[in-house]
Amino acid sequence: MKALTFSETKKILSEYDIPLCQMVLAKTKKEAIVFAEKIGYPVVLKISSPEILHKTEIKGIKINIFDKKTLEKTWDKILLEVKKKKPSAGIEGILIQKQLKGREIVIGMKRNQKFGPVLMFGLGGIFTEVLEDVAFKIAPVSESDAIKMIKEIKGYKVLTAFRGQKQVNLKAIVKIIVSLSKLSLEKEEIKEIDLNPIIVDEKKALIVDTCFLL
Amino acid sequence: MNFKKINKILNPKTIALIGATDRSGSVGLGICKNLLEGKKDRKIFFVNPFRKKIFGQKSYDVIGSIKEPIDLVIVVVPAKIVLKIIKEVVREKVGGIIIISAGFAEAGKKGKILQDKIIETVKKADIPLVGPNCLGILRPSINLNASFAPVSPQKGKIAFISQSGALVDSIIDRSFVENYGFSLIVSYGNEAGLSMCDFLEWAKDDPETKAIGVYVEAIKDGRRFMKVAREVVKKKPLLILKAGKTKTGQKAVSSHTAALAGSQKICSAAFKQVGALEVDSLEELFDNLEALAWQPRCKNGIAVLTNGGGCGVLVADYCEKLGVKLSKLDQKVFRKLEKSKIMHPSFSRGNPLDIIGDALSDRYELAMEVLLSQENVHGLIVAQTLQTMTEVEKNAKVTIAAKKRWPKKPIIALFMGGKYILPGEKMLEKNKIPNYSDPRRAALAISALIKNK
Repeated sequence: MKALTFSETKKILSEYDIPLCQMVLAKTKKEAIVFAEKIGYPVVLKISSPEILHKTEIKGIKINIFDKKTLEKTWDKILLEVKKKKPSAGIEGILIQKQLKGREIVIGMKRNQKFGPVLMFGLGGIFTEVLEDVAFKIAPVSESDAIKMIKEIKGYKVLTAFRGQKQVNLKAIVKIIVSLSKLSLEKEEIKEIDLNPIIVDEKKALIVDTCFLL
Repeated sequence: MNFKKINKILNPKTIALIGATDRSGSVGLGICKNLLEGKKDRKIFFVNPFRKKIFGQKSYDVIGSIKEPIDLVIVVVPAKIVLKIIKEVVREKVGGIIIISAGFAEAGKKGKILQDKIIETVKKADIPLVGPNCLGILRPSINLNASFAPVSPQKGKIAFISQSGALVDSIIDRSFVENYGFSLIVSYGNEAGLSMCDFLEWAKDDPETKAIGVYVEAIKDGRRFMKVAREVVKKKPLLILKAGKTKTGQKAVSSHTAALAGSQKICSAAFKQVGALEVDSLEELFDNLEALAWQPRCKNGIAVLTNGGGCGVLVADYCEKLGVKLSKLDQKVFRKLEKSKIMHPSFSRGNPLDIIGDALSDRYELAMEVLLSQENVHGLIVAQTLQTMTEVEKNAKVTIAAKKRWPKKPIIALFMGGKYILPGEKMLEKNKIPNYSDPRRAALAISALIKNK
């Protein structure tokens, strides 16, 4: 399976008004530093290559970068790791983004032979991967379907006012689900999508990482 | 598929059976016998070149020798000569075909090729086809049993559409014990022509059908299913039992979504999305269909009447799990019961309403009337444990009477026991009040009756 490049992904997300968190694809260390100083620390660095689908597995993601010095060191470390573990991968550059705080969710799509695009919603991390606490809907997914989907999962409470945190902006999540449903119906060449993670708080929902497969 | 075309198959005036025989132990014999049950309602022709007469009736050597137009042709000959027979059939411009014979796509590559040739032939002739590899079709209300089921079921309001044929046979037998009947039974087999969706559409518009049940292993066209099922549930409840649940998601995967999106989960999500009710067992399927066929549907908020605490608690537990609300009872209810002087002084002032083990039918009668006359009680479960003084038949009688006074509120009976409650159960079910012997089954049934939970 082939993945979309960063710029292709960015273009398609903006076409459907799906909000990506502020990030740039830096080609050089210097570019990365300029961007980090502009948006402020802490930042996250991520390897960007259409041939690397699971960045964590090859240590292609580094978080908690609080200053320029760490950024420079981390930049070299990532490139070294990738060279060691996936020497053949074509590198587009390193993505740099602000390290966001909030609750994690996952929204995805898989094209099913018989039903067409199937949308998935779940909480991030172990909720999705270990507990498989996810909900599915067949596209087209309406706003009311999307709300049902969010409330269907067992861990829904995590998104509500809970342990001193405010309820997250459910409307922002609904909007992403409905837009992704539309995208999936229109762009038939895309077979699978992960928007994982998406960071949500009481105001907004921002996509932190994506995987678009053809 | 238009209704008129499928109607030739489901309401034929003339039927020809190719492969008719009186050879004992054969499928052909089974169909002959079943078809003859409806000989007052339609003409039956037998085709078999090796017989002169079958059951005293003339046997034709080929279908072409029958002079009358044929609405439905049933083919039950060995797979290898089916194509040849179909080619003869399509020359006659018949209304529809059922191929009972097995040995097609379900049997492997060769069978699939043969099936594709048959599809091509009937498509060109524009003749609707059921099967192959199926049991056939039954409509008890018009004495149509175009199947090799061992026995014909009673008529009723349940339409059962099944991918499996063999299951149908045993379900029919079970229906005599459980006292329900059918408006339609279709075993659609390999779906080479008409599919599950075509029969769903037919059952949706069939005035006799009140509730539709489906047994399915694989859904052929998911997107069409979504469209059709959405229309169906607007008019009638649709219950689905889906087999093949153990299959897990894709193994070697690239995205997280693909890893989690197993075909069973997608089917379950689709059923939920269109408003169909997915059930876990055949027992649950027919328990609920029986309730839906016999009782009206209602809003959420019911009452539970019982003569035993344990039974009441169990019902309450299951109801909570299923999202069935037990209505808050008015103080007036309790005052009325207290004043009646027939209540045990320690009857529970709550819902479930426990009228205590020594309750006779007069207590049941009064409690039912008081509960059903309360506005926020939309339905009722009448539970009865078998105590030494319990009046099973009289309790059934007062339940039936209450049902007559409150026709718009569903009543589910939970007369628990076996041998000794049987006379009561018979009376109840004769009057279309379903009885279940397990609190969970009763709770599931009332849950199926509740709209917009």
